[in-house]
Amino acid sequence: MSDTSVPAPPRAVVSRPVSEALLNEKWDRCLSNMLIKSTLGLGFGVVFSVLIFRRRAWPAFVGVGFGAGRAYEECNWSLKQASRDLKRQA
Amino acid sequence: MLRTTLRSVRAVGTKPIAAPTGRQWQPSASAAARRYYAENKKASIQDANPPKLPASETNTSPAVDAPALKTEAKVTASTIDAKAVPLTPPAPKEATLSSTGTITRHAPPAGAPVPVKKKGFFRRLRNYVLTLMILGAVTFGGGVWYSRVNDNFHDFFTEYIPYGEQAVLYFEEKELRKRFPRAMTTSSRTQDTGAQVKIAPQSGASWRVADSGESGGRSKSAVRDGNSNTPATKQAKPKSEATAKKATVVAKSEEPPKAAAIPSAATSADMTKKAKGDKPVFKAPEVDEPSRFPPAGPIDPLNVKDADEPVVQDLVKMLNDIITVVNADNANDRFSATIGKAKNELNKVGSKIRDLKAKVEKDAASQVSAKVNEFEVAANELVTRVEGAMASQERTWREEFETEMRRIKEVYDSRIKNEMEREKLVNEQKLNNLLLEQAIELKRQFMKDIKNTVEAERNGRLGKLDQLSSAVKELEMLTTGWNDVVDMNLKTQQLHVAVEAVRASLSDTEHPRPFVRELVALREISSDDTVINAAISSINPSAYQRGISTPSNLIDRFRRVASEVRKASLLPEDAGVASHASSWVLSKIMFKKEGLAAGDDVESILTRTQTYLEEGDLDKAAREMNGLQGWAKTLSRDWLGEVRKVLEVQQALEVISTEARLQSLKVE
Repeated sequence: MSDTSVPAPPRAVVSRPVSEALLNEKWDRCLSNMLIKSTLGLGFGVVFSVLIFRRRAWPAFVGVGFGAGRAYEECNWSLKQASRDLKRQA
Repeated sequence: MLRTTLRSVRAVGTKPIAAPTGRQWQPSASAAARRYYAENKKASIQDANPPKLPASETNTSPAVDAPALKTEAKVTASTIDAKAVPLTPPAPKEATLSSTGTITRHAPPAGAPVPVKKKGFFRRLRNYVLTLMILGAVTFGGGVWYSRVNDNFHDFFTEYIPYGEQAVLYFEEKELRKRFPRAMTTSSRTQDTGAQVKIAPQSGASWRVADSGESGGRSKSAVRDGNSNTPATKQAKPKSEATAKKATVVAKSEEPPKAAAIPSAATSADMTKKAKGDKPVFKAPEVDEPSRFPPAGPIDPLNVKDADEPVVQDLVKMLNDIITVVNADNANDRFSATIGKAKNELNKVGSKIRDLKAKVEKDAASQVSAKVNEFEVAANELVTRVEGAMASQERTWREEFETEMRRIKEVYDSRIKNEMEREKLVNEQKLNNLLLEQAIELKRQFMKDIKNTVEAERNGRLGKLDQLSSAVKELEMLTTGWNDVVDMNLKTQQLHVAVEAVRASLSDTEHPRPFVRELVALREISSDDTVINAAISSINPSAYQRGISTPSNLIDRFRRVASEVRKASLLPEDAGVASHASSWVLSKIMFKKEGLAAGDDVESILTRTQTYLEEGDLDKAAREMNGLQGWAKTLSRDWLGEVRKVLEVQQALEVISTEARLQSLKVE
């Protein structure tokens, strides 16, 4: 595994990702984005619930929902854009 | 406007009014003013006013007052002067009419009273006439004077100017009288008679007297007119005093009876004489001709006897003339004695002249004979002298000639000698030249012969050498040909080696490595082979720079690619997150196919590719994978590129190896 994998990674890093890793990369981006945005939403929701809503739970859930939704939308857009590019290339 | 009216008024206005205004307006210098001046003049002429003097000052002002007093005296003086000069022309007219000079003096007073009557206009007219007359008189006087100086002008003047001739004659006569107060009267009369009766004797006399040096220019002109007084007298005097005296006697005898009737002055006397001269000519033939010819007749033969001499002849003629004159005057009785004496004298003179002639002839004959003798003697002497001189000259010439001949002979001899020597030299030279030429010819021939022999010999040996050399050349060609064959063999071997090296480098199964060096060697070996070059250039540069992946690598990578492709095998077009997730989930559940599965779906293609790969058929595997669509194709793109590179290199290597084989076959 080490012999085969050694020459490939530097190339992928330097120039462009290997063709078979295109989708995986996109998935990685989407998941990380969702995690960050949902955590951000959670944080905002927690803060709001503590400050305004007397430590109610739903503002936190709402925040997470907003963040996750936002991330989902972005991922969807990126995937569609990629498919459009593929079509254009073909 | 006012001025114009004024002018018109003035123009119409009377004279006394206009005159002052004109004077006032003078500086303006208008046309009207000028007109007034004209009017003023008229007034001045009529009235003789003081203010008009300046206008007419230039003409008459100095003469207006003063001349009025002098007029009569001046006029008389001027008239007298004027008439005094031109008196000569009118004088004859009046003389013919009244034969007196008093009338001529009465004529001028008739002109004088005219200017006295009217002062202005008539005075001027009188002045004009006076000046004209004075001028005329002066010119006439000048003409007369100049005619006496110049002969041509004299002719012109006497011919074309009226009364000019008379005036000139008068003055000439006057001068003559001054010079010869005695001869004048007599000569004039003799000439008159001579001119009337005969011209021939006078001309004869003139011819005779030509030696005395008197010019005939003026006399001729005078003779032409028939009144030649002075020249005739001049000629007459030197001729002979005796005849002149006789003539004077005759003239005096003539004068008293017929000239006594005329009491007029000397000037008029000339004219009267002329008139009288004419009358006797007319009368003589009518009445007295028969009676007077006999006396003239008997005298002539007497003279003819002695008239061998021209002088005597002339004398006789003159005497005849005198006789005729005497006959004409009817004075035969009176002059018969004197004429007889004259005849005798003439005869005597003739005889004397004859004696003189004879004497002179004798003397001349004796002198001539003496002279002839002298000349003969002189001529003889001359001839002898000349002959001597000739002889001496001939001798000297002969000597000179001989010496010259000798000299020339010597010169020619020397020249001939020189020529001979030169000829000899030239001939010798020519002979020498001929000899030299012959020697040169012989030398040339000898050289040619030698050359020919040498050439012939050389050709024999050289021909053999050529054959040898050609054989050697053939051998060389053979060797070179074999060299080529060997070279070709070497090349092909090298080619094979290179190809094998490339193949060896490719067959390294462990990891890909670049085979640039091997390819460069191959290219160097087969630099002139187009096929090999084309094959090498068809290989992708990245292939030989990085090397190509081995089959095991390819299979390994295919496994990864296939798993990824399977994940995206169920994706629709324009798929979002949900469809991706569902396809990923569903792909896990799908059944896997084995072997060469039929169908165009992704799963079957992937299984077919895998089987081909396992069989080692890269070409077919690549073809199968190329049939994928969409995300699946995108994901398998890199793997396909790798496979293609490997395939290209394999193809090129095959081409090169076949070429090398072909080369080796060619060589053999």
